[in-house]
Amino acid sequence: MLLPVNTKCECGHQNAVGTVLCESCGKPLEKELLESNEPLEMRYDGVARRSQKANPDYLDKIWNFFSSVKIAIYLIIITFVGAMLGTIFPQASTFISSTFDPSVYYAEQYGLPGKIYYFLGLHRTYTSWWFITLLVMIATSLVICSIDRVLPLYRALSKQQIRKHHAFLKRQKATYSTTLAEDEAEWTKQYGQALRKKGYKVFVDESGTALLAEKNRFSRWGPYINHIGLILFLLAVLARSIPGWNVDQYVSIADGDTVPIVGTNYYVKSEGFKIELYENEELPEELKDSGRIKSFKTEVVLYECSANCNDDFEQPTLTEVHQHTILVNDPLRYKELKLHQFDFNLTPRINAVSPMVVNVQTGESYGPFHLKMVEPELHYEVGPYTLELIDKYMDFAINSEGEPITLSSSPNAPAFIFNIKGPGLAEAGEVFMYFPLEKDKVRFSQDTINRELANKVAIKVEGMENVDFSAATTHLNVRIDKAIKYLWIGAVISMIGLVMGTYWQHRRIWLRIDDQQLTLGAHTNKNWYGLRADIAYALKHCGIELDPKSLDNGGHKG
Amino acid sequence: MGKNRKKVQVVVLLLALLLGGYAIVQSFTSNDSGLVKEGQQVPEFRLANLQGEPVALEDYVGKPVVINFWGTFCEPCIREMPSFERQHEQWKDQGVEILAINLSEDTLTVSNYVKKLGVTYTILRDVNRKTEKRYGIRSYPTTFFVNRDGTLSSVFVGEMKESQIEERISKIVQQ
Repeated sequence: MLLPVNTKCECGHQNAVGTVLCESCGKPLEKELLESNEPLEMRYDGVARRSQKANPDYLDKIWNFFSSVKIAIYLIIITFVGAMLGTIFPQASTFISSTFDPSVYYAEQYGLPGKIYYFLGLHRTYTSWWFITLLVMIATSLVICSIDRVLPLYRALSKQQIRKHHAFLKRQKATYSTTLAEDEAEWTKQYGQALRKKGYKVFVDESGTALLAEKNRFSRWGPYINHIGLILFLLAVLARSIPGWNVDQYVSIADGDTVPIVGTNYYVKSEGFKIELYENEELPEELKDSGRIKSFKTEVVLYECSANCNDDFEQPTLTEVHQHTILVNDPLRYKELKLHQFDFNLTPRINAVSPMVVNVQTGESYGPFHLKMVEPELHYEVGPYTLELIDKYMDFAINSEGEPITLSSSPNAPAFIFNIKGPGLAEAGEVFMYFPLEKDKVRFSQDTINRELANKVAIKVEGMENVDFSAATTHLNVRIDKAIKYLWIGAVISMIGLVMGTYWQHRRIWLRIDDQQLTLGAHTNKNWYGLRADIAYALKHCGIELDPKSLDNGGHKG
Repeated sequence: MGKNRKKVQVVVLLLALLLGGYAIVQSFTSNDSGLVKEGQQVPEFRLANLQGEPVALEDYVGKPVVINFWGTFCEPCIREMPSFERQHEQWKDQGVEILAINLSEDTLTVSNYVKKLGVTYTILRDVNRKTEKRYGIRSYPTTFFVNRDGTLSSVFVGEMKESQIEERISKIVQQ
């Protein structure tokens, strides 16, 4: 088909290589096609695809590969199959635990299939190189297919020849011919008027005996607008891999703490997590005392770092930018950042205590002094006593070798070792071990450890007002998705194109009268029923009554 | 027309190559563990040492660097520290630096441990676990062996034997 052939039509028009129907008069150009009697294939009005060329070079070959709709369909099918494979087992990205290890999980959970799944990298299907490559290829194909088809089609539709070849008219799927008794030009004018009433744009050539009536040409651009939307959508999906465009992580904040959101310039402070239960009066009989949760909420303050942000040696300068009470389904929104309530933990965390130093022998107490769990002061003067902090454990325990250790960096069982100097104590001071939490005092037998010193001095917290603690820890999901608005724009454009191409049809009716002989042909992309009704309506207006069905030349599906 | 077509072809294919290529390359660099990948630049940091002075990774440009994340609550971290100390002694003449980043613990706790263990290499103090998160640490200890040009040579998760440390240090020294 792409051999160098004479592409000049008998009407004198020079057509491009690959043209099926003459761009001007519509005569079939290929010999076989001309001799056949089948209705014509009207796709792209028979014009050549842009890239069809007699001698394709290397670049043309790549271009032609992507220009093929067949290739595009294969690409889409392969992508579908790939996407389906990704749904067999859960994707690794759906696990948020920091200890989640995909190399172990899939094998343990699903056995051999899981092992293979992991081995093939299907646990990260949608971010894998081959899946992204397929998406990129589809996007390329969309662009190239569209360019190759929309430009020639636009040219063909914007300079249509009114008088078409007989072969073209007679081989349309809706066609009609008869011999007229009336004046040719007058009849044509009348027929045109009837079609104008139906909303057609009517063009008559200078002889007044050939007519083109056309309606809803814009619907032809629907698929291309749809493609533009899809391309935007795909680009938005690919844009998510730009660092900072798509953030999905979790922060845990104890009441009163301010924590950085790593990977952003934000810090977030929790002013307290609150959980509210339904009152018994609000519950039906069978649910009374069942502790139904009414709401979870976290009061947060969002800060933006304005100086020393990437320097952990200096204190960052924080500027408050937003405050919000986060509820389920009511996240904090600030620019592209969203903070969703995700989980909570009601285990209290001790932050500081303000104990008194008690002289056990006299019963006199001094203080209180403020003792922080994190980065405490090392030196305290309390009444006649001097306390030197010499060691401290956040999560005190004794290891297998009998040495004191800390199990974690959270203050689960804080322990402080002081060197105390004061009345009745040794000159160089005596070592005193202090557990702020009552349960630890008992568990680790503070008094036994301190031996006779326990009879001389005590460190005691009087009342809960001297304990500073965080009642709860809130877990928030941090989301940034800068691509989402482009996804929406792409989806809307794509939908506009789809509607344009679906709910309107491009209808065209051509006719010519030669020596009182009328030949009429018509084409639409769908709803032939409507088109035939339009032809019959206008014919009736000109005095020819017929059953619209009789216009059917066969060969179509609607 | 013909010339124009060539231009359109080149522009469209070039754009596809650039945007698509970028997306595909990005898909290679994201990984399972979230840890910095071999061959990539390791994240910069500027943290305080035990004397309260600032130490930045960029101070060591041109030197092979070992970055070890540790905490006093992590027994394997403590167990491997004497090996690192001996390796530090062995390699320090060749410019090898060991930066042991503590996982945001108290000054007192850290200095007591360092004194007890007799460690002489540089101890740094993470703040708010920021550096730890930037490096994608999931379990302790984790050790990064960094080439002279600041790219990652290898990463080891878990307690290291002295022979393993030696092998990896000699690799970054030769680089």
